[in-house]
Amino acid sequence: MQQSPRQSLWMHLIGLAAVVALGTQPVCAHHSFAMYDNGKQITIEGVVKELQWTNPHVWIQVLVPNAKGGQDEWSVECTSVNFMVRRGFSKTTIKAGDQISVSLTPLKDGSHGGAFKGVNSLNGAPLKLESED
Amino acid sequence: MGVLKPLAFAALASAGLLAVSGAQAAPVLSSTYADPSQPDISGLWVVTGAMQYAPDRSVPKLLGQYKDLYDKRTKAFKAGIAIDDDTADCLPAGLPHLFIVPYPFEILQTPGRLTFLYEYDSAVRRVPLGVTPPAQPEPDTATFNGDSYGHWEGDTLVIETINIRGDTQLDFTGIPHSDALRITERLHRKDAKTLEDQITLTDPKAYAEPFKTTRLYRTRPKWKISEYVCEENNRNKTDAQGHTRSGVK
Repeated sequence: MQQSPRQSLWMHLIGLAAVVALGTQPVCAHHSFAMYDNGKQITIEGVVKELQWTNPHVWIQVLVPNAKGGQDEWSVECTSVNFMVRRGFSKTTIKAGDQISVSLTPLKDGSHGGAFKGVNSLNGAPLKLESED
Repeated sequence: MGVLKPLAFAALASAGLLAVSGAQAAPVLSSTYADPSQPDISGLWVVTGAMQYAPDRSVPKLLGQYKDLYDKRTKAFKAGIAIDDDTADCLPAGLPHLFIVPYPFEILQTPGRLTFLYEYDSAVRRVPLGVTPPAQPEPDTATFNGDSYGHWEGDTLVIETINIRGDTQLDFTGIPHSDALRITERLHRKDAKTLEDQITLTDPKAYAEPFKTTRLYRTRPKWKISEYVCEENNRNKTDAQGHTRSGVK
């Protein structure tokens, strides 16, 4: 997996903390979670290419700068539309072109994707959402 | 149970009077319409706890080919590969997996039956009351969710379910069962916000002994059941090797 130095630092720091902090696997009811490195958490930062506001999963496509001076497209798999709504997201919360920092549980095979955990910041500001709990 | 209902109303009424005088009011049940002849377990519920079948992640004592199958799936799982994962192709999870999917479901109580409406897959489970279940499963008529038969024992709803397809799994770790599976549930409202289900899986083909689990469900008064169409944008379909795809572009 290609990583920018910044991303690598984030992954190192957050990965260590996450092993202790995370007791649960991603909430994903539509398919097995075998593919995820459960208990680990990483952060990626980049520009939103596309938001797929769909079932069975919402997807955030993020273009993340890589060490080669180019960019990698990451696929962040979220829960269903219903659960994103219950967490306070709408179809327009995240838009193409937004600068985003996202936490995710990475794929075990190291490809550019993972299960969505949360948005750390959107266009430089924390994302304040009202959940339906 | 017809006797209990007026008593319950009387209790609520006195709690209401107490509330006026400053004491704590009785909790409001998140009930929809409930058959007045039955204890009330209606409303919207969502599972709590781990997404493994048993909250403590224990596994039934598997026999022969079923143990081999689970060992094979576990080995693949640890390597990051999901096999035999039919839900990735949008097939139903089936019972008893449906008991633990982290999506809400709604229980409706009407005369002579209960109906479970699940958000996941828009699944429906019909539970007639007072109908005697067949003594033995009839595998030729097996379905994903099987056939359920309910009756009340005091404030507990007892549901027997048989005729469940043998190719579904208990959860995403791939715990198998056979088409001889019989599920006995004992559901009761533990408190105003909690529904308890004591579940026994009896499967003489696949399990050395009955496997008992208790799952808790909590109310979510602000939630509603919404549409869920798995085929809309499924990027996780299994590949040619039968492995669940990650959906990465």
